[in-house]
Amino acid sequence: MSAAFVVGVLVAAGVFLLLRPGLLRVVLGFVLLGHAVNVVLLAAGGLARRTAALEEVGPDTADPLPQAFVLTAIVISFGITIHLLGLLRRGAGGPAADPTGGDADADSEGDGGEGGHGTGRRR
Amino acid sequence: MILAATLAWQVGLAVCVPLLVRRFGRDAGYPLAAGYLVAAALLLTRLPVILDDREVTVAWRWLPGLAVHAALRMDALGLVFALLALGVGALIMAYCPRYLDGSEAEQERVYVTMTLFAAAMLGLVLADDLLVLFVFWELTSILSFVLIGQGGRPAATGPAVQALLVTVAGGLALLTAIVLLAVHLGTTSLDTIVAEPERLSGVPAWVVGTLIIVAAFTKSAQLPFHFWLPGAMVAITPVSAYLHAATMVKAGIYLLMRFSAVFGGSWAWNGTLIAVGLLTAILGALLALRQYDLKALLAYSTVSQLGLLVGVIGVGTPDADAAAILYTVAHALFKATLFMLVGIIDHQAGSRDVRELAGLHRVMPATVWLTALAAMSMAGLPPTIGFVGKEAIFEALGGAYGGGWLGWCAAGLGVLASVLTFAYAARLVHGMVEGPTRQRQLREPSWAFLAPAAVAAVAATVLGPTVAVLSPLVERAADDARPEGTPPYLAFWHGFTPALGLSVLTVLLGVLMFLGRVRVDRWLRSVPTIPPFAELFERARQALLHAGSFVARTAHAPGPAPYLARPLLATVALATVAAVTLTDVPAGLGDGDPARPGDWLLLGMLVTALAGLLVARSALAAIGLTGVVGLLLSAWFLTVGAPDVALTLMLVEVLTAVVVMLALRQQPPRLAPVGRRRPVVGAALLAAATGVAAAAGTAVLTGRDQVSGPGRWYLDRAEALTGGANVVNTILVDFRALDTLGEAVVLAVVALGLVRLAAGRPVEPASTGTAGDDLVLGLAYRVLAPVMLLASAVLFLRGHEETGGGFIGALLAGTAVGLGQLAHPGGAPLLSRLRSAPLVAAGLLTATVAALVPLAAGRSLLAPLALNTPDPLPSLSTSLLFDLGIYLMVLALVVAAVRRLGVPPNQPTDLPTDLPTDLPTGQPTGQPETGGAR
Repeated sequence: MSAAFVVGVLVAAGVFLLLRPGLLRVVLGFVLLGHAVNVVLLAAGGLARRTAALEEVGPDTADPLPQAFVLTAIVISFGITIHLLGLLRRGAGGPAADPTGGDADADSEGDGGEGGHGTGRRR
Repeated sequence: MILAATLAWQVGLAVCVPLLVRRFGRDAGYPLAAGYLVAAALLLTRLPVILDDREVTVAWRWLPGLAVHAALRMDALGLVFALLALGVGALIMAYCPRYLDGSEAEQERVYVTMTLFAAAMLGLVLADDLLVLFVFWELTSILSFVLIGQGGRPAATGPAVQALLVTVAGGLALLTAIVLLAVHLGTTSLDTIVAEPERLSGVPAWVVGTLIIVAAFTKSAQLPFHFWLPGAMVAITPVSAYLHAATMVKAGIYLLMRFSAVFGGSWAWNGTLIAVGLLTAILGALLALRQYDLKALLAYSTVSQLGLLVGVIGVGTPDADAAAILYTVAHALFKATLFMLVGIIDHQAGSRDVRELAGLHRVMPATVWLTALAAMSMAGLPPTIGFVGKEAIFEALGGAYGGGWLGWCAAGLGVLASVLTFAYAARLVHGMVEGPTRQRQLREPSWAFLAPAAVAAVAATVLGPTVAVLSPLVERAADDARPEGTPPYLAFWHGFTPALGLSVLTVLLGVLMFLGRVRVDRWLRSVPTIPPFAELFERARQALLHAGSFVARTAHAPGPAPYLARPLLATVALATVAAVTLTDVPAGLGDGDPARPGDWLLLGMLVTALAGLLVARSALAAIGLTGVVGLLLSAWFLTVGAPDVALTLMLVEVLTAVVVMLALRQQPPRLAPVGRRRPVVGAALLAAATGVAAAAGTAVLTGRDQVSGPGRWYLDRAEALTGGANVVNTILVDFRALDTLGEAVVLAVVALGLVRLAAGRPVEPASTGTAGDDLVLGLAYRVLAPVMLLASAVLFLRGHEETGGGFIGALLAGTAVGLGQLAHPGGAPLLSRLRSAPLVAAGLLTATVAALVPLAAGRSLLAPLALNTPDPLPSLSTSLLFDLGIYLMVLALVVAAVRRLGVPPNQPTDLPTDLPTDLPTGQPTGQPETGGAR
């Protein structure tokens, strides 16, 4: 049962952070959600067998397949975290140069999207 | 096989262009022209087979589920169009070197795109499967868009988008027709469909016929879609000559010819083609007469001539098909010539306005007389191929509907279009030879510039009397288009036929019109403009965009939270539905997760850390607590028997903390205020609901009793098959290596994305001294970095056997890089030399080589291949090489992150607010930073 609790608290905390102002919180919330998904993946394989699949394969050996998935998933979510941080830094280039100041960044992003429709031809 | 080889050769030429441009500069056009001719020669080796009424085919299975084959087939019709694409292409390539005068990158772009276009055109006319044809059809549209757009020059964007939208809309019509054909006939093979036209009848036949007509009309610029072609003239002249006169616009003609075997007998098909074609011919010619810009004149002339071709195809007799094929060749020759010459005049005189070019023949005689020669062909004067072609067209039009009064009407309209053509051709030449010379300083261009146009002009003339040379091929092609009856033997002189009379009439009326040109001009100006289709189209497009942004407005929200709340609410709703409707737990799930005491301890610490994170006000605390959460989880992973995962997560956590610290260095240490109370409560409620849903879902839906089937298989066989004891690692690098490769590529893309995102920021701070260095961290770096690098190498090398591998090793090495950056912001010794872009390239290359080596050895892609090594060394396999590629790509990401995010913001950057006043303003802002090298 422990995995379910871990997932629950991670998701709740991650979502709460996502919904708060400030892009840094969004990044951290995303990290937590990534953790939660990794735990789910591992739990899917069953947590009753807990010996690493390294030497002797016995009845208690854990399923290696979810582990392989999770391993790459961790690295991928690291990549996405880095990307988010890059965007956060980029957003800091605007007039409101406070990356944790929240809404200013989101505003400029929204405008950019809308402007893209209107000025698509002229560009 | 020769077809695939020719296509591959053409694509290979495009790939070689950068090398050629580097070696020859803009003269790269000459070797390319030779390459085109080689491709044409390759196809011509099969000429005897084709003339023997056989065909050349090659096919591979492509989508067996849909019975689609990647099939190519060449008959005479395909060969004519292919030779046209390659022959005119060679001339244009030989013309480009003296015409292009942009930067090297610009020339490279033009050469690559044009050569790819030639390949696409080749594929289009050689495709035997309609889906293959469609793919090439769309490719020509896209490449045309790229060429018109001129790399995003503002003036060219509007016309480029317009041309793309029109031709792609036609492409969609074509796709719909193909789908309907596939559904009704169960095949997409062009050969089969054309061979059994009677299988298609009733409503589907009508719909498919209409869609094919729409597709062809958009591509070949027929009414009412003609407007994109004159707009496309913003492209450089070689492009206009090649795509928008000689080849791409002929794709519609080709399609109509192919399908005339299916629909040719129907009065609706014939009538539509004749009516729209001849109307376009007359309208285009009238519009051409109104132009002063020579290029615009030629553009409208192209519209008009294409209309004539469409009309003739509509007649649907063997004579008409032969006439259409012959005139397609003739038009390609003389129109490409005229475009090239107008380009030369524009290049030399700096103007294409016919009023500026008076008396040009005194300073540029060769150019003007070549223009006159090509114009004769266009006007249909003997002895040119244009004359023979037009004769054939008159004869064919006269035979429409069995040669009754309708046939005479069609012939009359054809004569009218030809009279107008004569008039604008005369006007084109007359404008250059009349009056005193306006620009005396002009000089004849170099012979190299003139030669390609001269070759085409002479060919267009000589092929008139010697048209019999073309006869066998044209006959065969007409027979391929519609295997009914015998096409006529082409000859220069047919005797005194009605067609000759019409030719004489055309010339007489044309001369009259030319003599009365002042009055004609006045009359033309007084005629109201034809409905401006281009403007209507543009307005419709804008309206659509407005409607789109109106619909999208509901999705716009002022911050990330409202966006993110929607999918989260949907998740909760989904969970609620599942909770209500899901009664049976899937089989095989039991209490697969018996909790152990240690779990609860970890859980307690986790909750504490998370609670701290939620209330943290300082960024530093938040980042630290996130790291703690990650470390607790890696401990949990360790306890559930996933040491590789645990180690990876631990390293990732450390690295994330390092990178975040670097990214936020000297930023305000406080997080944004939590805000008003009500949103907080809402967020907390949503967070709690999502958490409960996730926990419940995990509890109910996870926890297998048994090891999964694949997992069991890996456990049992991994070591025997791969020689590696670490099953997780063997899954990553041996069994599911393609997945891993894809994931590593994602990381590589992120690394390159960071390089782009940080474009304009200096890679290394301006100060190269040790001012920003941290003494303590510096010492730690000096001691730890070698140890970490060594450990990284060990972890990497032993990955196959024990915990470790490419991911883990690279993360550890990356941590050393991060430590270096923290300790020495000005550039750490040794590791600051690492650059992400070369690392990405090296990693990608290594992984690809590792993927391909087994292929060369006859195994499947990425299959591990053991290498024989002397005894004391550990056994090696290509999977280690593959893992090295992964290692390099992951390291590239870390290096990119540390370098790009780690530049302190108070160093000179492009942030205007941060710029110290005493710095020079010429900071390298906005300069794209493509590589790490600086």
